[in-house]
Amino acid sequence: MECIITIELGTNAVRVFAFDIQGNVIGSMKGSYPTFHSEPDYSEQDPEQIFITMLYVLKNLLTEKIHPRKYQVHAICFTASMHSLLAIDDHGVPLGNMITWGDNRAKNEAQQLKGSAMGETLYHATGTPIHPMSPLVKIAWLKQNDSQRFARSAKFLSMKTYILQQLTGEYAIDYSLASATGLLNIHTLKWESNALDFAGITADRLPGLLSVFNSPGKLRKEYQTSLGVSPNTKIMIGSSDGCMATLGAGVWHEDKATVTIEDSGAVRVVGKQVLRDEKQRFFNYLLTENCYVSGGPTNNGGVIFDWFAKQFGDFSGLFDIERTMENLIQEASNVTAGSEGLLFLPYLLGERAPLWNANARGSYFGLNITHERKHFIRATIEGILYEVYSIGKMLQEYRTIDSLSLNGSFATIPFCTQLIADIFNKPVSTVANANSAGLGAFLLCATDMGIYSNLETAAKSVVIRETINPRKQDHAIYARYFQIFERLSVKLKEEFEDITNLQHL
Amino acid sequence: MNQFRLHHAQSKELESFPHILELALRKNTSIQLNSLSNSITETIRVYYILEGKFEWVINDRVYILYPGDLAIILPGQSLRGTQDFMDVGTLAWIHIQVERFDAQRKMILGRWSGLSENESQTIATILQLNKTNVLVNLKDAITLVQSIKQELVQQQIGYGTRVNHLIDELLILIARQSTHQTNLRRDFPQTFMKLEQALRQSLSHPWTVEEMAALVGLGTTAFSERVKGFTGFSPLNYLINIRISEAIKLLRRQQLSVTDIALETGFYSSQHFSTTFKKLTGYTPGEFRKRNN
Repeated sequence: MECIITIELGTNAVRVFAFDIQGNVIGSMKGSYPTFHSEPDYSEQDPEQIFITMLYVLKNLLTEKIHPRKYQVHAICFTASMHSLLAIDDHGVPLGNMITWGDNRAKNEAQQLKGSAMGETLYHATGTPIHPMSPLVKIAWLKQNDSQRFARSAKFLSMKTYILQQLTGEYAIDYSLASATGLLNIHTLKWESNALDFAGITADRLPGLLSVFNSPGKLRKEYQTSLGVSPNTKIMIGSSDGCMATLGAGVWHEDKATVTIEDSGAVRVVGKQVLRDEKQRFFNYLLTENCYVSGGPTNNGGVIFDWFAKQFGDFSGLFDIERTMENLIQEASNVTAGSEGLLFLPYLLGERAPLWNANARGSYFGLNITHERKHFIRATIEGILYEVYSIGKMLQEYRTIDSLSLNGSFATIPFCTQLIADIFNKPVSTVANANSAGLGAFLLCATDMGIYSNLETAAKSVVIRETINPRKQDHAIYARYFQIFERLSVKLKEEFEDITNLQHL
Repeated sequence: MNQFRLHHAQSKELESFPHILELALRKNTSIQLNSLSNSITETIRVYYILEGKFEWVINDRVYILYPGDLAIILPGQSLRGTQDFMDVGTLAWIHIQVERFDAQRKMILGRWSGLSENESQTIATILQLNKTNVLVNLKDAITLVQSIKQELVQQQIGYGTRVNHLIDELLILIARQSTHQTNLRRDFPQTFMKLEQALRQSLSHPWTVEEMAALVGLGTTAFSERVKGFTGFSPLNYLINIRISEAIKLLRRQQLSVTDIALETGFYSSQHFSTTFKKLTGYTPGEFRKRNN
């Protein structure tokens, strides 16, 4: 019997899944690693720890769940979070830690570029919004602020590239992940020369480009032995977590969107064409060479509700955070839609789409003397979801979306799922396999093996668990509040700047 | 509460307890200059505030202590009043002699203590790493101090054992409160981050699960479950993860010998290091170094 292993190098953890050829999960394990914030705005991870954690989890899964059942590993397929940057010297040794997508040190470089004509050119050429998350801007930051490291850097890699190099000896990146670096021209599929100039590098300092179906090379002999897999096991380079979560949510047609909400969130659509937005609000990443995943990310997803629970939840019993959140949601469900006029702007972490304003800040609005604790709870959840809706609304300027597919731990809380249906006024479905990125990677592999004739057929195979319909009455209420929410979010721009300046004193 | 002072050089009551240097309760009604100037001792000093407001500098940090608060000053740590005098108010204290206390966080209390070597080491680890010299609202502490005094004065049957038990109990209370105060149950990820930092800072230390659990204020079972749930690994396997990733970095740098790297990253021996490393990566440390040269 054959099986497929998927490895997702996520923001906080690596998740490894084993699928049989029919797509059933036959085993899974995760291992987490920390993020270091050595200075404000810095967000880094240890590349060796990620590598060892990945290896450890993979080995445990194989020894405990796969080898005893006599499965042969046909392929190992990788997905990873986007925008990571790791500099290495000419011996391949990392120069410092890996810089994650959440790192904001390059905010000034990003702001300058964004306001310029070159910024606009680069945005349309590369599909990546001009933002400190973008490796393009991070490299430019290194050049200006850490010139020694910049000079010693023989190559600039993504985290996945480093891991794959450890395993196979080759430096490679797939078009999909490369399209999120701000350095790849998504129309010509070549490194964009204007971007290289801006970053101050030449293309030989970047890894080689591969299709998502390709392999950087064979697994090194030592790992074949220690993991107990055959030399013929295909190491498939795979894609990014965002693209794979979209595929794994069964979204392929233009009339459908995915809503993913974990700590952060995103709304995405798939299509053959780039969404060309003059306001530069969307990303356009490549899923395959002729297929784009477009949409917008929000910083303020489930992490904001986590924050709320930690500050205001009831921990007086022996409740842990999960139980406390359940209790809060129970309380929120006792308040009617619209929280009786209390609105919440969830911008505690600044915001990416649709505002793209790192200085945006949170706020409760409309407080009156009758509001209680429970109104705050519900308003907080509604605020997070209004923000997600504002991304969806913006996408609907370009696409007609008839239904949504939800994934991520926050979006799939039943209370939130119903609210999303109501706020969007669209039927929403959740899929049977909660880990969409892993499933997406499996579908990519299975298509490569010929089990599905193409990715469209593969996406259709995704099993839907349930579909929830919007409640008209609640939608009408949310629609009225959303108008105020949307106006507030742009109206406060100056005040956001001023208060942020004071906070930075 | 009446004032009293037992001192090992003067008080008969302390004759059979050489490790108790001083036990006292005092109402300080006036300020005397230089009554609390800087001092560093080789003893554990515990103070409990009953009345008034005390402004102290402990180990270069300023604290304001209110009634109900407790301060603990470890051997080698400094204590002084912000203005070098003892403020007006009421406070109780006990000074305990320890047999050994060093920077590797070894603490041997002495034969009088019923704490096992592991437990007393864990307590020492917690008190040093948490850097919490002041614990707020620890009323149980004064009850213990008073019980110790009563036992010493009344000398009823079994008092020799009881006194020492009560001192152990006081130290346990302080260690537990210290972990509860520094670790909010509501935020395990943050708590875990602090543990991770402590592990990285002393990677060569022979960590035990008990020690790690105590550091974050959880029982070992609950701790192992939380760590497994959060990281996917048992605490010791998580530690091996960090050890190997640090070792990889050192191997790449080509400066230290494999044996030095093994010890620096907390393996018992280069043999133990090689076996663990090879099991995980398929390479011996030497092969790994060669491949990356």
